[in-house]
Amino acid sequence: MSALPVSNTGRGLRVRVSQQLPMLLEGEFTCESGELMALVGPSGAGKTSMLRALAGLMRPTSATISVGDEVWSDTEANIHLAPQDRHVGLVFQNYALMPHLSALDNVSLSLLHLPVKERKAQAQQWLDQVRISVEQQARKPSALSGGQQQRVAVARALARQPRLLLLDEPFSAVDQMSRRSLYELLAELRRNLRIPIVLVTHDLMEARHLADSIVVMDAGRVLQQGHPAQVYRSPRNARVADLMGVHNRFAGRWLGPLSEADTDAQMGWLEWLPADAVTSGPHLRVRDKRRLISGQMVTWVVQSDGLHIDTDEGIELKRANPGLVAVEARVTEVRNLGETTLAKASVVGLEGVSFSLIRSGPQRRSLCGGQAIRVQVDCDWVHVMPIKAA
Amino acid sequence: MDWQALSLSLELAAVTLLVLMPLGLWLGRWLAHTRFAGKSLIEAVVVLPLVLPPTVLGYYLLASLGGASPVGRWMQETFDVQLTFNFAGLLIASAVFNIPFMVQPVQRAFEAIPSNLAEAAAVSGLSPWQTFVRVELPLAWPGVLSAAVLTFVHTLGEFGVVLMMGGSIPGETKTIAISIYDRVQSFDLRGADEMALLLLLMSLTAVAASFFATARLVKTR
Repeated sequence: MSALPVSNTGRGLRVRVSQQLPMLLEGEFTCESGELMALVGPSGAGKTSMLRALAGLMRPTSATISVGDEVWSDTEANIHLAPQDRHVGLVFQNYALMPHLSALDNVSLSLLHLPVKERKAQAQQWLDQVRISVEQQARKPSALSGGQQQRVAVARALARQPRLLLLDEPFSAVDQMSRRSLYELLAELRRNLRIPIVLVTHDLMEARHLADSIVVMDAGRVLQQGHPAQVYRSPRNARVADLMGVHNRFAGRWLGPLSEADTDAQMGWLEWLPADAVTSGPHLRVRDKRRLISGQMVTWVVQSDGLHIDTDEGIELKRANPGLVAVEARVTEVRNLGETTLAKASVVGLEGVSFSLIRSGPQRRSLCGGQAIRVQVDCDWVHVMPIKAA
Repeated sequence: MDWQALSLSLELAAVTLLVLMPLGLWLGRWLAHTRFAGKSLIEAVVVLPLVLPPTVLGYYLLASLGGASPVGRWMQETFDVQLTFNFAGLLIASAVFNIPFMVQPVQRAFEAIPSNLAEAAAVSGLSPWQTFVRVELPLAWPGVLSAAVLTFVHTLGEFGVVLMMGGSIPGETKTIAISIYDRVQSFDLRGADEMALLLLLMSLTAVAASFFATARLVKTR
């Protein structure tokens, strides 16, 4: 990861954190104002700790955290602003609303610097904005639904007029209905607020659906930051591929460019190897990013978008796209799940290698167990990584 | 009816409460929020007055604060203050004796507050003091209230430790519980009966009222 400049011209968030004890927490990332960034990773990856460090609730051993021209943490300069001085809005996972106060008083708590009358008026405005009715505003949190409590928590965070908004697992505890209205609320906030918004989630679908950029964390480390589609299509390493839910991950050997034409086109050859690495599979001509040494063992992935089951349309496709490589396979398992079908197909001639195929719509009817199929692998969707795990 | 003894007991209970409340809030909250090696030992010391025979506690207080002890002598010489066989001695004894009744419920009450509420308050811009007044104290209030009632009622009825530290000087250290004992000793069972019944009713009323208030507080939340 390249070093980040300390100076920060926009209103974005710049973070660099490094800590060994009491728990590992390490990484750099940025989030521009008006951007929604998703911090994703399995539980225990350090997402919430990272959020706490941003809010000032935790003091990492070494950190620089700045928002716009405000430096919130700079351990070298011995700067560590208290949470009270950060103007950060934090929506806790279980909302952390004060149980003894009404919704209105909960929001008023963020506005103690104002005279009582103005405090109430402003709190009411914020609650109106997140669509909590006047009648609901007088209720204690326990008399509100989960989704309503969450919106009160969002109003409380916004009333602080934060320079950074943090949301910890906002979708984990709300039902599908509230979830959809929360999506809309988030989209609205992103349009209107023009501040960086950081969202912690373990749900990748959600992250890909909502975020402008995602930061992948695992075991306390930031592994990769990028646009969701980009991280999904070219994960930095096998661990990121796993975390991003890329199922079609295979072993291989990098052969590099084999002709001048390859070099000119920035293409290289990948030899597909089964797990035992004894037999040899097809050779694929893929983009060469000049990061790999010829002869090196590699891991490679291909997204479902790059796998086509050969039908008449497939042949049409083949004509349009010379980067397709046909592979014979046999369907071993078909599972129908709601609107999609998950199928596994073992590759003929490659011991222990199988595709995971996801199909929806009319295509799903074409699959049944034991069926021989031909899978077209689109080399454009192949991404090769060094074998070393995270 | 020994009205003098009753009013002394009420006065002692009120002053004990006044002295012990800030200490109990501070110590209880601190024990609830802090974790360190040796915390169990401190908690054991806090509970000790509850399990120790009052005479043993009274004996040690007398031995360490009496006129013959270094502390007692120093207080006598420097401030001309005597710590035993007077109201001050009584107050010290009942404060020490009531530490567990005050600290334990307060500690449990603060422990029951989810820790992220204080964090949410800090992120909302509340200073530690504002958080204490506006969030922690209202939430811990049922526990604090029952601690206060227990301490008050327990002081009204205490006997052994008060007798050891205060003797039985009418108007100075003769509390209602000691007065009841005296009546029984002098075969004035009618007098003892009246006072015992009064003490019983007062204690029952106070405890029942605090339970009622606590239940209401918890329910309206």
